Amino acid sequence: MSADVILAVRGVSKSFRGLKAVRDVSFEVPRGAICSLIGPNGAGKSTFFNLVTGYFRPDSGTILFEGRDIAGASPVDVAHLGVARAFQIAKPFPGMSVTENVRIGALFGRAGPRDVEAVTQSAMQLAGLAELHDREARELTVGQLRRLEVARALAARPSLLLADEPCAGLNPTETAEMVAILRRARDAGATVVLVEHDMPAVMEISDTVLVLEAGALIAQGAPQAIARDPRVIAAYLGTEE
Amino acid sequence: MKLFVSGRSAWVSIAITLAGALLFALLPAFLSPYGVRVGQLFVLAAGLAVAWTVLGGFSGYWSFGNAAFVGTGAFVAALIELALPGWSPAGAFTVALLAAMLLNGLLALVIAWPILRLRGIYFAIAMLGVSQVCYELVSNIDALRGALGVNLIDIVPKDVRPERFYYWALLLAATAIILIAICVRHSKLGYGLLAIREDEDTARMLGVPTAPYKISAFVISAMLTAMMGVIYAHNLGYITANSVFRNEFNLNVIVYSLLGGMGTIIGPIVGAGVMTYVTQVLLGDLLDIHMFITGLLLAILVLAAPNGLYGIYDTYRLRLKRQKREAGR
Ligand SMILES: Nc1ncnc2c1ncn2[C@@H]1O[C@H](COP(=O)(O)OP(=O)(O)O)[C@@H](O)[C@H]1O
Ligand SMILES: [Mg+2]
Repeated sequence: MSADVILAVRGVSKSFRGLKAVRDVSFEVPRGAICSLIGPNGAGKSTFFNLVTGYFRPDSGTILFEGRDIAGASPVDVAHLGVARAFQIAKPFPGMSVTENVRIGALFGRAGPRDVEAVTQSAMQLAGLAELHDREARELTVGQLRRLEVARALAARPSLLLADEPCAGLNPTETAEMVAILRRARDAGATVVLVEHDMPAVMEISDTVLVLEAGALIAQGAPQAIARDPRVIAAYLGTEE
Repeated sequence: MKLFVSGRSAWVSIAITLAGALLFALLPAFLSPYGVRVGQLFVLAAGLAVAWTVLGGFSGYWSFGNAAFVGTGAFVAALIELALPGWSPAGAFTVALLAAMLLNGLLALVIAWPILRLRGIYFAIAMLGVSQVCYELVSNIDALRGALGVNLIDIVPKDVRPERFYYWALLLAATAIILIAICVRHSKLGYGLLAIREDEDTARMLGVPTAPYKISAFVISAMLTAMMGVIYAHNLGYITANSVFRNEFNLNVIVYSLLGGMGTIIGPIVGAGVMTYVTQVLLGDLLDIHMFITGLLLAILVLAAPNGLYGIYDTYRLRLKRQKREAGR
């Protein structure tokens, strides 16, 4: 494995009571890339994130993060190694302020104890939350909650950010904002794996695109090539438009 | 290593606590002996409730069995004093107190591993079971003298009135508990516990080491509860299993938080104050129906203010903040 591959997935499968949610998936994510994972609902995208973050143990296969096999490692250990996740259903801590939410990301992430405040502030800045710093999370709109989710993940200083449908439910302006945030996150040093349904956004932001269908990886490549792939059009784009 | 994550609010809370404790320390000068005894009940209740909050309020793991630590603390202290006959009262008490706290810390550590894996109501019930088991053991093993009862040494100095002495002793212990709770709340541990309370799986994915954090909070909570139990036992002077493993201790600590504000430090203190005032002063003469009225009041309060008195204040504060923001636009 070359040094500039941050995540290498080899033959990973996971079933739930006979249902194969992820089947024999292999691919590599180059460091510094923005890589989109697309596929219809139920294709196994969130399950795949659950496997990488240690929430589930794969039935078989290896997940190499920076050269280390993290398949089956505990979520706490995976987080400390530098993998952060923004959930599909935003899960900020509702009783806490925006700053406190982001601070928890920083406290338990990889920033030194003296840098917690600085990292908290810069993550809020990056996600455009500076003005909302003293709002309670329960006061935020859907769009703001998603930015908070991403800010909290980024405050951990991850080298790999897994963002699960960060644009779902956002209007076009908010979607554009989120795309800009993810770009800034990448420019600040994180590799981004993104699950997204908004095809224009995917085409605009991605370096590579992976297509899952019924748990299997059916195509991968540059966005333009994926958009022309007949299998992808049949499996996914065709059913959507 | 920085002690506090949010330093300023921690120091403000510490200053308020010290000022409040000082004020309360002066109260006996203005109170009748009966008033001082009501004061004892209040500081005992507040101390126990804040000790409970370190685990229950912060992390959301509600223990229904903290009487286990009150009772075990009391009996460990009593039996140790029994074993140190020639010692000065101060010396024996100090050893007994430290041993009781240490042993309860160990007890919590041992039971934490299996039962803190249980979530929600299962943990609560398991703790109820633990307090029942401790009660049965102390009652039924003759050497532990739970059925027969045991005397504690007299530690009241000659020239101090006993009710005042115990008021101050309980106040000192409660103040220590509150200060420790503030330190926990504003440290990295406290932030981790709050994250666990909000959503344990998310906390793990953010890198919060949930198991060691829950165990730490549990051990701290048990040791602080035992400290209160030891002083309470000396105040009683003579204890049986029935007098210290009281179901009231299991339930009231939760009621105080529900009433004042779950998860906060001020909440259980206010809740303990309100409940003590209502049961001892307002309804003090109506002993027959006082449990009935207390229950009724509680039901009404919990229905009217599900987040406690602090919840009412918090809603008001949020609304003010929003109004100010909108006015600023
Ligand atoms: N915890 C679970 N238990 C059982 N089945 C699950 C679980 N999580 C996901 N699945 C199933 O696995 C499949 C893939 O789901 P998911 O990964 O959420 O899809 P996606 O995120 O691509 O929409 C679905 O059929 C879903 O019902
Ligand atoms: Mg999904």
